[in-house]
Amino acid sequence: MCNEAIVRGAIEADVKIVSAYPGSPTTEVLDTFSAVAPEFDYRMEISANEKVALETCAGAAMAGLRSITSMKSVGLNVASDAFYSLSYTGVRGGMVLVVADDPQAHSSQTEQDGRIFGPSAYVPMLEPSDPAEAKRMVKAAFDISEKYGVPVLLRTTTRVNHQSGIIDIGKVERKPFAKVRWDHPPGRFVTVADSARTFKLAMLERAMRLEDEFEGSDLNIVEDADSDTGIITSGAGYNYSVDACRELGIEPSMLKLGTTYPLPRKLIGGFLKKLKTVIIVEELSPYLELHVTAIAKDANPSVRVVGKWTGHFSEAFEYNTNIVVDGIAKALGMKPPVDYKAVMDRAQELKEGLADRWPTFCPGCPHRASLHALKQALKGVKHVVATDIGCYSMSFLEPINYGDTLLCMGACMGVAAGLQYAVEEKVVAIVGDSTFYHAGLPGLVNAIHHGDDFTLLILDNEVTAMTGQQPNPGSDVNAGGRAAKPMIIENVLRGFGLEDITIVDPYDVKKAVGPMKEALSRKGPNVIISRRACALHADRLKRKRGEKISSNDVSKEACKKPYTCIREFYCPALSIDDDDRKSVISKELCDKCDVCAKLCPFGSIKEREGG
Amino acid sequence: MADAEFSVYMSGVGGQGLVLLSNVIGAACASAGIRALTGEQHGLSQRSGSINVHMRIGERIRSPLIPIGGADALLALEALEALRYIEYLRPGGIVLMNSRVQHPISETAKHMKDKQARYFSAEDVRARLSQVTDKISVIDALTLAKEAGSALAENIIMLGALSTVEAFPVPVDALKRSVAENVPKKAVDVNLKAFELGRSKAREQLCRVVKCRD
Repeated sequence: MCNEAIVRGAIEADVKIVSAYPGSPTTEVLDTFSAVAPEFDYRMEISANEKVALETCAGAAMAGLRSITSMKSVGLNVASDAFYSLSYTGVRGGMVLVVADDPQAHSSQTEQDGRIFGPSAYVPMLEPSDPAEAKRMVKAAFDISEKYGVPVLLRTTTRVNHQSGIIDIGKVERKPFAKVRWDHPPGRFVTVADSARTFKLAMLERAMRLEDEFEGSDLNIVEDADSDTGIITSGAGYNYSVDACRELGIEPSMLKLGTTYPLPRKLIGGFLKKLKTVIIVEELSPYLELHVTAIAKDANPSVRVVGKWTGHFSEAFEYNTNIVVDGIAKALGMKPPVDYKAVMDRAQELKEGLADRWPTFCPGCPHRASLHALKQALKGVKHVVATDIGCYSMSFLEPINYGDTLLCMGACMGVAAGLQYAVEEKVVAIVGDSTFYHAGLPGLVNAIHHGDDFTLLILDNEVTAMTGQQPNPGSDVNAGGRAAKPMIIENVLRGFGLEDITIVDPYDVKKAVGPMKEALSRKGPNVIISRRACALHADRLKRKRGEKISSNDVSKEACKKPYTCIREFYCPALSIDDDDRKSVISKELCDKCDVCAKLCPFGSIKEREGG
Repeated sequence: MADAEFSVYMSGVGGQGLVLLSNVIGAACASAGIRALTGEQHGLSQRSGSINVHMRIGERIRSPLIPIGGADALLALEALEALRYIEYLRPGGIVLMNSRVQHPISETAKHMKDKQARYFSAEDVRARLSQVTDKISVIDALTLAKEAGSALAENIIMLGALSTVEAFPVPVDALKRSVAENVPKKAVDVNLKAFELGRSKAREQLCRVVKCRD
């Protein structure tokens, strides 16, 4: 996988410091570094958030060690404050920042275009198309970073990160880890006022030198087909372009840009000279299109630039070969070999009646039960719920239907503060443990300080569950299984001076409702902590210990079909028998959390015979 | 063989081992010197969501995503997930489908309200699919996996079945070796047995409608 190739490239480049916070589609960079950490001598942290991760890398790189961090696009929003300043101060040791956009917002709250960060911070940016190139570019990025004293962005998208392919691996020749002496003059990395102005001029001059270097870089590839039609593209767009041209049976010239900031303007101008039509294939914003249009004004004013502004491509959503085939065909007046819309329409007919399969809480998930208990506790209470980023974001879906607002990591408490001023209803905020530590603390401090009247429900499951159960500050381990000091949420709250804390066990679902109800009736700010390990995490530990995971079954005699186990609960292990209409539990899916068994008014759910 | 191209659209439900399956095929390609790439769709790690992997084999292919109508085969670890991605299947392409159905909660919700409602079944899926291809093989992978020794081996049952297809350009030996190298150590025997059970099942039915190899 490309994310693994990035790790391999960094290890071959003798990286010494790794820090990151998980986020799809970059999570496997962190996971892979963590998995192989015991085999190498790099120091690694799974940071509390992306900003801390970036700062950790910055400190090490200022001193002179090679460092790398990876994050999703919205992660760089969090880290951007440090990022912009770091471009001013620069670094000494090579520093690489992998940032992945998520066109289609597969697993993100927005599909923002992270390419804006390169030019706006004057930070060089490289864009690979596949795992082999990603590995090569990581190594190149470290060299560029050290040569110019600036961190380098490696910008990817979901379809690059989650692409697997076969790559050649290079030699791992690593120097033993050694600390360095801090030999910089005082103020070397201090940017403020006069020094900021000095840094700014140096940064602009650096960008000019980088552009000169990129003009001749082999990271940009020209495939000259002696055609008057050309394609300019980068990253995933290149893959779709190559396949689309094959589908259409055409061979235009192709400029695949690997250095997308600073753009090699002379190279692009030279490419445009021979063309009558140039097609820009890029997902999201018309970044390349804007620059190509500007470059064409001098290089070849008569060239026709085809892209988003001409209506051939969209700024929305992920591309694929079909979309690129259609865009190119339309630009060149060709007929696409397949009428994709007709195929899709036919498929839609065939799928009539096929139910959607939304992502949902896993069988055994403690927080399906937490939200069930909350729903019971809020019966008869008009409420507004500010939710947050995590598995529990799914609570806005059927059947829980909780979630009036969701913005970004840690936002629920700030939003709740605003809501409690504005609405008549009871205000509830919901956050997971990892998000709480990531960006929730300032919101909480703010609420306690101002006495904001809302109840915060913290869904504690010991790990960063949604991205694959990585450790977080509440865990007793960190990267590579190394011991770490676990934060205790209630101690943190008490340290801030908040005393109204209610702790419940969601597996004891009926008993959780009363205390929750009482807490919700009190004036805020107060906190309910619902605590149980993530089921996937707990199952993994059980398997490690050799414990069996058994399942429950429904007694046909006892079941009176009230569907308490299904209504408001929606565990995927449960379904209804087509004939006798009684509940059925899948032996393969049930995790035996016993929550449905506790809810059943007829006691019809018991442990399955033979497990 | 070098120019052979084959794209398999693989789908299933989170927790069924689809990513492992794609890793097994990918590693087999690597060991056999065959160029392969995959595009995976995951991010949310919850179980029970619909997931897919685009598996593409061929020297000249660049995009990890199979185009609409571009899959030579559709391999579904769960029956409904075969129909869900039908637009990817080439007309007349091969469908290898597990007969197991995991009812989506949204469908169960309707069941609760409507006493006459019946679940979409594997047979319903087959009927729909047969409107676009006659090369369909429905395999009870769960039963076979249990016979092999573990309910978790459904993915390898389906791989065994796929390995019989003549147009699938990955050698059977390379696949077997890859299974042995990529599944957990204590599960190697179970999975190799699952591979063979999948192969024999495919010979009974798939090979009647699709050209197979030894």
